[in-house]
Amino acid sequence: MAIIARSIGKRLGEPPSDILSGVSMEVRDREFLSITGRSGSGKSTLLYLLSSLDTVSSGAVEIDGQDLGAMSPEELCFFRNRQVGFVFQFHYLLSELSAIENVLMPARKAGEEETRRAYAFNLLEEFGLAGKSDRLPRELSGGELQRLAIARSLIMRPKYLFADEPTGSLDTANGELVVGILRRINQRDGTTVLMVTHDSGFAAAADRQIRLADGRLGEADTSVGASANGRTDRSVAPHDRGGSL
Amino acid sequence: MIFLAVRYLVARRRQTLLMLLGVFFGSAAFVLISGVMLGFRGYLVNQLINTSGHIHIAAREEFLTDHSLDASFYGPLARVFWRVPPSGRKDSAMIEQPQAWYQRLKADPRVVAFSPQLTAGVLFSKGKATATATLIGCDPEQQVRVTTIGDYVTAGRFQDVAAGGGRLALGEELRRKLGVNVGQDVRVSLGPAGGVVPFRVAAVFTTGNRLLDELSYGALADVQKVNGTPNQVNEIVVRLADHALSAQVATTWAALSPEKVESWDQRNAYIFDVFKIQDTVRYSSIGAVMIVAAFGIYNVLAMTVMQKRRDIAILRSMGYSTRDIVVLFLSQGLLLGLSGTSLGLLAGYVISFYLETIRLNAGPIESGIAHILVSRDPSIYLQAAALAFAAASIASILPARAAGRLPPIEIIRAGAE
Ligand SMILES: Nc1ncnc2c1ncn2[C@@H]1O[C@H](COP(=O)(O)OP(=O)(O)OP(=O)(O)O)[C@@H](O)[C@H]1O
Ligand SMILES: [Mg+2]
Repeated sequence: MAIIARSIGKRLGEPPSDILSGVSMEVRDREFLSITGRSGSGKSTLLYLLSSLDTVSSGAVEIDGQDLGAMSPEELCFFRNRQVGFVFQFHYLLSELSAIENVLMPARKAGEEETRRAYAFNLLEEFGLAGKSDRLPRELSGGELQRLAIARSLIMRPKYLFADEPTGSLDTANGELVVGILRRINQRDGTTVLMVTHDSGFAAAADRQIRLADGRLGEADTSVGASANGRTDRSVAPHDRGGSL
Repeated sequence: MIFLAVRYLVARRRQTLLMLLGVFFGSAAFVLISGVMLGFRGYLVNQLINTSGHIHIAAREEFLTDHSLDASFYGPLARVFWRVPPSGRKDSAMIEQPQAWYQRLKADPRVVAFSPQLTAGVLFSKGKATATATLIGCDPEQQVRVTTIGDYVTAGRFQDVAAGGGRLALGEELRRKLGVNVGQDVRVSLGPAGGVVPFRVAAVFTTGNRLLDELSYGALADVQKVNGTPNQVNEIVVRLADHALSAQVATTWAALSPEKVESWDQRNAYIFDVFKIQDTVRYSSIGAVMIVAAFGIYNVLAMTVMQKRRDIAILRSMGYSTRDIVVLFLSQGLLLGLSGTSLGLLAGYVISFYLETIRLNAGPIESGIAHILVSRDPSIYLQAAALAFAAASIASILPARAAGRLPPIEIIRAGAE
């Protein structure tokens, strides 16, 4: 089972313009896939379409054999709650809730707040947030917030993790930390990870890369450090199997 | 979701407090204003029902018109032009066949008791003090069954009016005007020129209602003699088992007889008009307070929805449904409504006891109560709760629905830019 996109397109705006068109691709289970491309090339749009947050204008997305377009709102909610985790460029934490409460929000929806509490503390500890569980978001640093957001996305042990520029608002060190975490949960827990990034160095941490250009799929499986962003000189996190495909 | 709603409310303490105050004042004001109005109203109605009887049967007063005497003078076919048209009132305003009434009333199972009366306007004098007043001739035994006048007797015994001839019960106001006490004599005449009859004061009553306290009661036969109308009565007062039936019964009787038959509420219809006006004022002023409170809630919630767009988006991405989002914002309004209302009702309840300790200057009607009466009828509290809660929920349903409709993807897309 996997995520399969069949010639999907997205039209947006007034007058409508094709932001994405004719994208066909497959995300295999347990894969760590990165999506790269210039700003405005449609990376975020593609991620939202693949992750059920947005609806396609043409084509179809199928997840585990189910057509997203045919799912009811209830099924979508259940699917997002149980199978999907999201990490965004901005952490989107609830400012009124403490760190641990934020992490447990998806579990609260599922009615499993108590049973997952221990796991939530494990995650906090793993991400270097031990002892900060009762802090409010405004009492944490940017890197801590993003790690907290990742902890929240993992609390339900989702099958899929979608990350839209998770390192976008972080400095290099924190960015590396975050990509390392994504890499680790992919390898250790078998979580399928889709990460959008415009940093080719981080993209190289993935098993496979997809490149978007003007809303279309460019050449896939680009190798690390081809041309982009002047980051070619730096290698990123210990990514042992740089491009295993 | 209520957990998060509470957190939102707590995080915006000042706004929450303001919204709460709106509902609080609205419901407290409703409870107090209604309580005072209905308290006094209840007192008034109770007095109307009990001190003057449920139904009055009275001779119809007939006024002469230009042509009402034509037939009797010139036959039915005559066309008469009067140089000075007849005018005035038919003199004998008496019930024509009281015996027929007595039989009908005795046979009617709804009637508990009835008391035939003869009412006369008389002049009282005691030494140099004089006072004109209404003297009601009645059978005291029946009168105390029909009205509560016996309960208000402060000196003597009302029934003693019947013991022997020439005895009176005076209202407190009248007694004061004449300066007499129980056991003393007063003189009664139909007017300055009429013959004078001595009466002895057998009882004094104080109802607290100045109009009633200016009345006097005597034995029916005595008053008939003073008035020069033996065996006649001009009014029959009836008590029913259920006072709520009064208007209905009075209307059917009125259709059957030449007499004027009126229930206590028909006789005092103007008071009910006043009640209606009071209610309009009460509901519209409280309504205004509630509308202001509702607008407060609406504004703050609508603003919160805009400020919390990102929260809404992220909650949706975690699998929270449209309904969860509606509940999140609706429950903020409902929590405010619930707590504001309960605090308001509680405050209203407590303050109502304080209000009751406020003494009144004896006015024409209130002289008997001497303090504010506040009704604590549960229906007032239910109405207040319903009104305040409705205001809060209507005010929050709109922003809540708007929040539910916000498409998370657009918020996330906008947030990423
Ligand atoms: N609501 C909208 N209406 C019209 N056009 C839009 C709308 N939202 C985004 N776009 C356009 O769609 C294109 C793709 O946007 P998208 O966010 O997917 O790009 P991206 O690759 O994620 O860029 P970045 O790296 O800057 O995040 C952009 O050109 C953008 O201007
Ligand atoms: Mg983007």
